[in-house]
Amino acid sequence: MTTGRTGGGTIAKITRENIDRWIQENLFQAIPMAVAVIDQEYNLVYANNAFTRMFGAWRNKKCYTVYKSRESVCPDCKGKDAFFDGFARVNEEVGYNKNGRITHYIKHTVPIVNDDGDVPFLLEMVTDITETVHIRREHQLLFDQVPCNILVIDRDYRIVRTNRRCREMFGDIEGKFCYKAFRGEGQICDRCLARETFQDGRLHSGHSAVRGKDGKEVHMHVTYVPLSLEDGKMDLVMEMAVDVTQLMDLQTQLKIALTVMETMIAESLDGIITIDDKHDITIFNPAARALFNVQGRRRVEKAELEAMMPEGFLSRVETADTHVYLPDTAVRTLDGGSCPVRLAGIRLLVDERFLGMAFWVQDMRKYKQLEKEKLEAERLAAVGQTVAGLAHGIKNLITGLEGGLYMLNSGMKKGNVDRIGQGMEMLGRNIERVAAFVKEFLSFSKGRTIQAAPCDPRAIAEEVVAMYSPRARELGIELVHEAGEAIPQAPLDGAGIHECLTNLVGNAMDACVMSEDRQNCHVRVSTLERDGALVYQVVDDGCGMDYQVKQKVFTTFFTTKGLGGTGLGLLTTKKIVQEHGGHVEMESDKGKGSTFRIVLPRSRLPQAAGAQDAPEP
Amino acid sequence: MKIMVIDDEPDIRTYLLAVLEDNGYETCSGDGKDSVREDVEKERPDLIILDIMMPRRSGISIYKELRSCPALSRIPVALISGMSPAASFTEEAFRSLAADDALAMPEGFIEKPVKIPALLERVAQLLKGVRDA
Repeated sequence: MTTGRTGGGTIAKITRENIDRWIQENLFQAIPMAVAVIDQEYNLVYANNAFTRMFGAWRNKKCYTVYKSRESVCPDCKGKDAFFDGFARVNEEVGYNKNGRITHYIKHTVPIVNDDGDVPFLLEMVTDITETVHIRREHQLLFDQVPCNILVIDRDYRIVRTNRRCREMFGDIEGKFCYKAFRGEGQICDRCLARETFQDGRLHSGHSAVRGKDGKEVHMHVTYVPLSLEDGKMDLVMEMAVDVTQLMDLQTQLKIALTVMETMIAESLDGIITIDDKHDITIFNPAARALFNVQGRRRVEKAELEAMMPEGFLSRVETADTHVYLPDTAVRTLDGGSCPVRLAGIRLLVDERFLGMAFWVQDMRKYKQLEKEKLEAERLAAVGQTVAGLAHGIKNLITGLEGGLYMLNSGMKKGNVDRIGQGMEMLGRNIERVAAFVKEFLSFSKGRTIQAAPCDPRAIAEEVVAMYSPRARELGIELVHEAGEAIPQAPLDGAGIHECLTNLVGNAMDACVMSEDRQNCHVRVSTLERDGALVYQVVDDGCGMDYQVKQKVFTTFFTTKGLGGTGLGLLTTKKIVQEHGGHVEMESDKGKGSTFRIVLPRSRLPQAAGAQDAPEP
Repeated sequence: MKIMVIDDEPDIRTYLLAVLEDNGYETCSGDGKDSVREDVEKERPDLIILDIMMPRRSGISIYKELRSCPALSRIPVALISGMSPAASFTEEAFRSLAADDALAMPEGFIEKPVKIPALLERVAQLLKGVRDA
C-alpha cells in the first residue's frame, strides 16, 4: 500500500460548495490508474502521472507508439472502433512499459461524445495486471504439471475442473458426476471423502481404486481439501490423487519375492546361514539347525558360528573377491561332533556396501556313505568279473594241457615218436603258463589296502616312462612323457598308480610291436588336470583293437598276446584305479592305435593321512 | 571232407588238427591273421572251426568277413571259445558280441576245453548238413 497527500491546488479551503471545482482540477491526477486522452489522429493529448509512471514520456507521441512501440495503427485497434460507433470498451492488451518490458493491462476505452454524436476524443483508463497474469500462469502450470491428478468438485459432486494429468488418465470428465466418471456408479459412493470434507470443512485422505479410460484398475492415494471457504461455507472441494498402482505392484512383487525366499530358506535341504556386517547371525535355517545340532529356537552366537566353521573360513570369505568353495571339508556341530560337508561362502554387497556374508552348507554324510557303498559295489563287481575271467583263462590252459595229453597218448598208441615229443613240449609249455598264471593271479588276488599319501602325480608318470625308455629305444619306439602344466599334489597310492601306468605303457609298447609299421610307432604319456579330475593318458599308434577285443579287454583274463600274456594287467589296473575312486576309459581303432585314460576325480580320491580341506576348484 | 581250424594258439591248433585227422578228416589251419579270407578261398574247406578271442583280430570280425563274401558265406562255421558254456551261447549273447542285428547266427558253437566225443559228434552233424545240401 502507498500513501500520499493530494493538495488543494488553487482552492485555499475546500468546502461542500467548491468540491466540484476541486474534482474538476484534481481528480485526473488522483485516480490510481493510468489515464490518457487521445484524439482522432491517435495523438496522446493528455495523460496523468500514473500513466507517465507506467509508460514513460507521452507528449507529442501516438498512442500505438507509447503502448506498443509501433510505428503504425494497431491492426485490431479498439479505439478506432470506439471513434466510429461511440461505444465504451474494456479489453485486455499486451504492450511495453517505459522500461521496454512486456506489460499486461486492462484498458477501459470511453468515448467523449459531442452533442452531434461525433467522438473527438477517447478517454483511456489502464490497469496494470502483469503480476496477476504471471501468477495466473504459474498457477495453471502448477495445476497441470504437478505429479498428481487434481480436480475440483462442486456440492452436487459434479466435476468442474480437471488438470492435464487427470484428463490423460480419465479422459474428458469435466461436467460429469465423480461417482459416474470414476466408478460407473449411478449414485454417490457409500463412503465419500468429498462429502466428509463438504460436511466438516476439513482435509480428508484415503485410498481409492478406480478405472482409467483404458479400463485398467488404478490405485490412488486421495486427499480432499475445501475450496472457496467463505464464512465457514464452501461450494467446492479440490481432490488431489497420486497414482500408487506401481508402488502397490512393487509392494506385491516384494511380498512375493520375500515369501518365495523365506519358503526356500526354510525348506532348503542345505543349511543356509547369513550374518550381518558385525557378524551377528541373521538367518540360521532349519537345515542348518539340524546339521549343526542346534536344538529348538536356541539362538546361535557369533563366537559359536566361528567355532563351527573350518578355521579361518569366515575371514577368508570376508576378504575374497568371489565366493569361497570347499567341496570336501568338515564342520563342527554344537555338541562337539564333526560333519563332512560341502561349504560355500560369499560376501553380500549392495552398491559396494558390505552387508554381511552368506553361507551354504551341504550335509555330505549320506553322500559319503553312498559313495563308500558304491565303491564297495564296484569292488565286488570287479571280483565277480575276475572270477568269470579266471574260468575263461583256466579253460584255455586246460585245453592246452588236454591237447598235450592227447598228443602224448595218441603218439604212444601209434608209436609216433614225433607226436610224443610234440605232446611233451605242449605239456611243458602249458604247465609253465599255469605256473605264471597262478603266480600273477595270486599277486592280483592277494591285493593290499591302498596307502594314499600326497604325491606329485607327474613324477609317477615320469618314473614309468624313464623305466621303459631303454626298451623303447631298443624296439625303435618313440616313448615320451608330456608333462603339461603344473598339477597340484594329490593323495595317491604311488606304488599302485605306478603299477597301473607300467601295465598301460607296457601294453602300448606291445601294441606297437604287433603293428605292421613297427618302426614308426609312438607312445605318448601325459598327466593333466581336467574338470576336477586327475587324468593319466597313454596314447599309442600301434595295432589297435577291434570291437570284440575292446568289449572283453577289462572283463576277462583276456590276452591278445598269445602265449606272452596272462590277461591280468588291465584287470589289475582297473582294480587299483577303482580303489582310488576312478575309472579307466579306452578308445581304440584297429590298425590306428589305442588311447587308455585313467580318470581320478579329486573329490573321490582316498583321504591321505592328515589331509586338509580339498583345494578350491 | 575238409575242416579248417583257425586259432591263434599253435598248441590248440595242433591238438584239434590231430584229433580231426585221427578221425579221418582232411584238415588245414590258419592263425587268425589278416589273410584268413585268402586262406579260406584257397583251401575251400567244408567246415570252419573258428576261435573267438584272438589277438589282432577277433573271430567275430573274421566271421563277419566270411559271411559278407558270397563265395564263402555258405561254408558252415562253428565258433569255439572258453568264454561261456555252450548252453549260454544264445542268439542274444551272439548279437551283443557281434553288435550286428542282421548277421546270421553261426551254425555251431564248441566250448573249450574240448570234449573229443562231443566235438566229433558236432562236426559230423554239421558236415551231414553240408552233404545233404
